[in-house]
Amino acid sequence: MTLQETTSLYNQLLESSAAAPSAEEPEAVVRLRSSALARFREKGFPTGKNEDWRFTSLTPYTDTHFSLEKISPGEDAIRNAIAETAIPGLDAYQLVLVNGSIRSDLSTLPDEKQAIIQPIDVAVSSGVFDAYLHENSFTGSDSLLALSTALFTDGCYINIPKEAVVDKPIRIIHIYGAADNVFFQPRHLWVINRHARATIIEQSVVVKDDRTLSLANSVCRVALEEDARLTHYELQQNAAGERWLHYSRVSQQRGSRYDNFTFSMPGADLIRNNLEMSLDDTATETHLYGLYLVGSDQLTDNHTAIAHQHPSCQSNQLYKGVITGNGKAVFNGKVLVSQDAQQTNAYQQNNNLLLSDHARVYAKPQLEIYADDVKCSHGCTIGQFNPEALFYLRSRGIDEAAARNLLVEAFAYDITDKMEDEPVKAYMQQLIHDSMTTTVVAG
Amino acid sequence: MLTIKNLHASVNGREILKGIDLQIRAGEVHAVMGPNGSGKSSLASVLAGRDNYEVTEGEVWLDGKNLLEMKPEDRAREGVFLAFQYPVEIPGVSNINFLKTALAGVREYRGLPPLSAKEFLKLTREKQELVALDSKMVNRSLNEGFSGGEKKRNEIFQLAMLEPKLSILDETDSGLDIDALRVVSDGVNKLRTSDNAFIVITHYQRLLNHIVPDFVHVLYDGRIVRSGDKSLALELEEKGYDWLKELYHTGALQTS
Repeated sequence: MTLQETTSLYNQLLESSAAAPSAEEPEAVVRLRSSALARFREKGFPTGKNEDWRFTSLTPYTDTHFSLEKISPGEDAIRNAIAETAIPGLDAYQLVLVNGSIRSDLSTLPDEKQAIIQPIDVAVSSGVFDAYLHENSFTGSDSLLALSTALFTDGCYINIPKEAVVDKPIRIIHIYGAADNVFFQPRHLWVINRHARATIIEQSVVVKDDRTLSLANSVCRVALEEDARLTHYELQQNAAGERWLHYSRVSQQRGSRYDNFTFSMPGADLIRNNLEMSLDDTATETHLYGLYLVGSDQLTDNHTAIAHQHPSCQSNQLYKGVITGNGKAVFNGKVLVSQDAQQTNAYQQNNNLLLSDHARVYAKPQLEIYADDVKCSHGCTIGQFNPEALFYLRSRGIDEAAARNLLVEAFAYDITDKMEDEPVKAYMQQLIHDSMTTTVVAG
Repeated sequence: MLTIKNLHASVNGREILKGIDLQIRAGEVHAVMGPNGSGKSSLASVLAGRDNYEVTEGEVWLDGKNLLEMKPEDRAREGVFLAFQYPVEIPGVSNINFLKTALAGVREYRGLPPLSAKEFLKLTREKQELVALDSKMVNRSLNEGFSGGEKKRNEIFQLAMLEPKLSILDETDSGLDIDALRVVSDGVNKLRTSDNAFIVITHYQRLLNHIVPDFVHVLYDGRIVRSGDKSLALELEEKGYDWLKELYHTGALQTS
């Protein structure tokens, strides 16, 4: 057995957990947490030695002293964060979480017939949490998952009751405070019951100054029961100094449909998205769309994994990236089609635009197919601007910077065009436009 | 309006234009003809500022301004318009947004106030009719899935919108059937004024029946080997280019 690298944060976490008084939790949960902690102790944070983390070693990001205490941002800062992330023209419910805790006074929630929204503790003590628990990761994130299970304290539990159709999207604004370098671990569980439908939009803000670092190990477990449908937007508009590890495990029962849009705007030092689909019955439908815009000194890594285990399921992935300056991106898309998963349709496409000599992308489609009656495809492109298109635009009096912006927006259009919620679409298009003007072209 | 003096240009070190002299006044239409590979499209590219061409010698002046020192977008804003031989398809950029951006840039440069949404729409409708461009096309992605004829019409539509001083039509007739050729030519004729000028690059006399030139120049081996009036085009149509090539190679043609 190899010894994991013991970074500063690793040591800190193990020390603090040893010192922590045993929480008033059910015996089963206490055991769960201690075995999870043992797994984390053994494996540590993923390093470049792990194939799934080859290009995104966490060692440099975890070898810093972090505060493990929750610091609540001031009320003004919270209100600012809510205002800053507003999506013009969007009629939605609003769920504000501050350091993972629900702030009812700042939230506008659907009634209980449409959605039950509670702290994660409720799910833990009622045993629901256990029912949806798993240990194995398809994206090499086992130790991060274990770390979360061992030490998480806050998060939200959303339950959309059977046959409920939530009449408006639920916009979740995750707000965190950081007076000093801070590490936090939100943990969420969303259960979309039979025939229920919902749209969830997630945004997050870390209230901190420019020099402060934040590292998040965020875990979200999503379960779609029979014929349930969820559209999930993850709008990642983070700032310098922020490091995000997002882990989502989504399970789908028969006839369910899950649509995910992950937009990683330039800003954060590190974003690693792990999105794992476990297709647990027949006739499911899955669409994963990702757009990542990566500027200088930034790393955005998308790892997706889709496990087709039953017949007649469809999955479709389209990830597009624009990398500039000395930015670095990773796309790794695993598709596993097991022997029983006949009549699978699984498509994957990844396109990248490298806008500078120092921009890098590591793209890896990874298909493992053990069934014979399937349609699977994957494609990957890495390119630059078409000089002829650039000249065409300029020859019509459009200056070079504006022409480049038009071409980037056109490149992203495939993704934004798939969004059905118009205000969210318009908001994202504007955000892409703005970030191109300030970051990418300048970079 | 346009003065080209001893223009030499090369691509990847190979000389394509070997000394072009041309004088174009407002209100004139000049046809540039010549066999394949004679440098016709290169001349158009150099004037519009395509960056893979290197000008090695000579000057180009547009109303007293040094065209060769300008970026492609500034040439467009000064009033040079190149109708592409092969217009580029750009999925995701809507025709209308593209035009709005282009027109805004050009108007600002020319010191004109920006158009209101209503004025822009009105102008669009007006110019669209000129080349009988379906309004559905205007809302689609730029040239995406357009037929050859539709692309060419779209070029002339853009020309009409941007109201350039000097328009260069690079083989606008290629890929057009007779009806489309008439529509496009009629459009161009309606845009002719005493203040603007056209360079019409073509292989064939056919287009020149519709857009009647004041001057015809024959380009061969990167030089203008003969200039004349519209009757020269008819003569070429009848006799082909071989006799000119022969005269050129025997040194019997006076080149500039």
